[in-house]
Amino acid sequence: MTADVTERVRQVMADILQIDLAAIGDDTSMDTVEQWDSANHINLVLALEEEFGVAFDVGEIEAMTSFPSVVAGVLAKA
Amino acid sequence: MTESSAPERASDGAARGGDREPALRQLVAEQLARSSLAEAMHTARDLLASAPGRRSCRYLSERIASLPKLEPGARRIALLSSFSIEFLHDALVATAFAAGTRLEVYQPAFATFRQEILDPSSRLYAEQPDFVVLAVEAEDWSTGPFGEFFALRDDDQAAAVARFDDELMALLSTFRGRSAAPLLVHNLALPAWRKLGILDAKSAHGQAALIGRLNDALTRVARSVADVHVVDYAGLVNRHGALNWYDDRMRLYARAPIAGAMQHRLAEEYVKFVRALVGGARKCLVVDLDNTLWGGVVGEDGVDGIRLGPSYPGSAYLRFQQLVHDLGRRGVILAIASKNNPADVDEVFARHPSMLLRKEDFAAVEVGWSAKSESLRRIAARLSIGLEHVVFVDDNPVECEEIRRALPQVQVIALPPQPERYVAELEREGLFDTLAISDEDRRRGDLYRQRAAAESVRAGAGSLEDFYRDLAMEIIVAPIGPVTLPRAAQLTQKTNQFNVTTRRYTESEIAERLRDDSWTGFTVAVRDRFGDNGVVGVALGRDTGRALEIDTLLLSCRVIGRTVETAMLAQLCDDAAARGLVALEGRFLPTAKNAPARDVFERHGFARDGGRDGGENWRLDLSTRRVHWPVWFVRATEGAAA
Repeated sequence: MTADVTERVRQVMADILQIDLAAIGDDTSMDTVEQWDSANHINLVLALEEEFGVAFDVGEIEAMTSFPSVVAGVLAKA
Repeated sequence: MTESSAPERASDGAARGGDREPALRQLVAEQLARSSLAEAMHTARDLLASAPGRRSCRYLSERIASLPKLEPGARRIALLSSFSIEFLHDALVATAFAAGTRLEVYQPAFATFRQEILDPSSRLYAEQPDFVVLAVEAEDWSTGPFGEFFALRDDDQAAAVARFDDELMALLSTFRGRSAAPLLVHNLALPAWRKLGILDAKSAHGQAALIGRLNDALTRVARSVADVHVVDYAGLVNRHGALNWYDDRMRLYARAPIAGAMQHRLAEEYVKFVRALVGGARKCLVVDLDNTLWGGVVGEDGVDGIRLGPSYPGSAYLRFQQLVHDLGRRGVILAIASKNNPADVDEVFARHPSMLLRKEDFAAVEVGWSAKSESLRRIAARLSIGLEHVVFVDDNPVECEEIRRALPQVQVIALPPQPERYVAELEREGLFDTLAISDEDRRRGDLYRQRAAAESVRAGAGSLEDFYRDLAMEIIVAPIGPVTLPRAAQLTQKTNQFNVTTRRYTESEIAERLRDDSWTGFTVAVRDRFGDNGVVGVALGRDTGRALEIDTLLLSCRVIGRTVETAMLAQLCDDAAARGLVALEGRFLPTAKNAPARDVFERHGFARDGGRDGGENWRLDLSTRRVHWPVWFVRATEGAAA
């Protein structure tokens, strides 16, 4: 299941942030991706909530600042 | 006919598009790359139907943004708001594109809407938008019903309303003085909870009453400034429920009060206005009949077997009929495209007690067996409207697909399997919405009906012949024998409509007559490309020495309107000639029900030859005239006569 979630998160991020699917890895974060600004962070969170049918608390939203932490955030909800 | 062989469509249901999504994405990208905008708009529509959601919207929005600027047909929309509205951007661009308009969005920083309007050198005016949206939440217009509520005495409430009225009037007039763009202003929605709790709804000075007065003021201002339109935001929030509509988490954390899932609904509401403003509103609604206006298939279930009436599922079809009826009253031209026997359909309209729609409500009626795309073409031609103004509604996915392929300009609504969902399906997009309704709109249905009646007279027989040929009808005429005798007697007993004399016979009565050589009789069976109708007609004639007198000529209502009666009269002419007789004599005995047969003799060249006992005598002189076999029939001699 972890692999499946990881892959789906990767797809959502690729779509919303408009980055190459293959380029998304452990070092993908708000610091390294220019388009991943605060507005797109909200877009990303809303798209993840739509994709996985979950809702994140504000604390969780603020902690999901990189690809690994987004995956961890989704897995914690699933 | 419409129930069978309905393949699963990926677009049905809320599930993600699965297999179709990657292919549709690729297709729309290719179409955009070669600037095939009309095709790309169709594909975008399919993509949003099969994979609705933020990812598809972002995908489309990004690709649309990379199109060349200033492409003709592109429109600019400015979103002025009191909150973060940028999360709506993708949905708005994608939805508008799927509806036929490329939008470019200008969004100033949130909560600067007053400055943007009041500052003559603001970017709002420099951008020269085609449309401007003013999206302001109630609490951002007036603190009266919110933070200040308990500080206000009753007359202070009136002052709060007056203040809002003045401010809105000043803002909108200022805007109008500087821009000719249509302005869409949100009205004010009620919050989920009321300041006075359960008392609020009763109180003359409750929060709901105060917001109601603010909305009254807003409506007055909107009517007094040119080209200002009201987005019924309150209605939208009500439709979905305030608890679903708002996301307090995002309201307080990101100044984005509208829930993620609802942002698309607001975008769709704006697109209704855009469609109306660019002249894209649809004008004509073409409906299917079986499993659309009623449940079941009238050709199989009969008039009394179709589902329509006060109890489910008939009640669901009745609700849908009410919507179609209301659209007609609003000025939408109504038409029918149905694969059915015209007589069956006529019978439903004539005598089903629960039919809300009348046949006269429809400006064009195409009932037959040709392809529905042909029916739609004929309807559009007869009504002189473009196919790009037509909406087609059908429960059968195969028919819907046929129209999508053959006539991509037509907007197709494929109805879901549950009839209770039909109304929402047709209402959702507001395809017929206009910004004004004139008296002419209300009368338009009548005008089109009159024009259609005139056109159909002019159109003549050409198209009808095509229809007959298209049916590939095979006719089998057989003498009445032991095998067909029971069916022949049964038809004389139960056929009421197309029956010139309505004489009822038992099997033995028919057999007795036919033992006499002066009598002749045959049955007619008809097959067409949709199947075997079996024995549908009976004729009995008596040789009077001078003429062949038609004792019985009847036709099952299933095949009325297909010239089978012409074939039967041709056969009677042949029989008379074979006996060396010089005339065919017919008699019409009127009953309460046999009007469909009333003109059969006149139509075939018979001359009126007096009458008696309320009946009419008709005569065809075979030395000068014959009834000829219609060329579209293939005559078979055996086989289906059973």
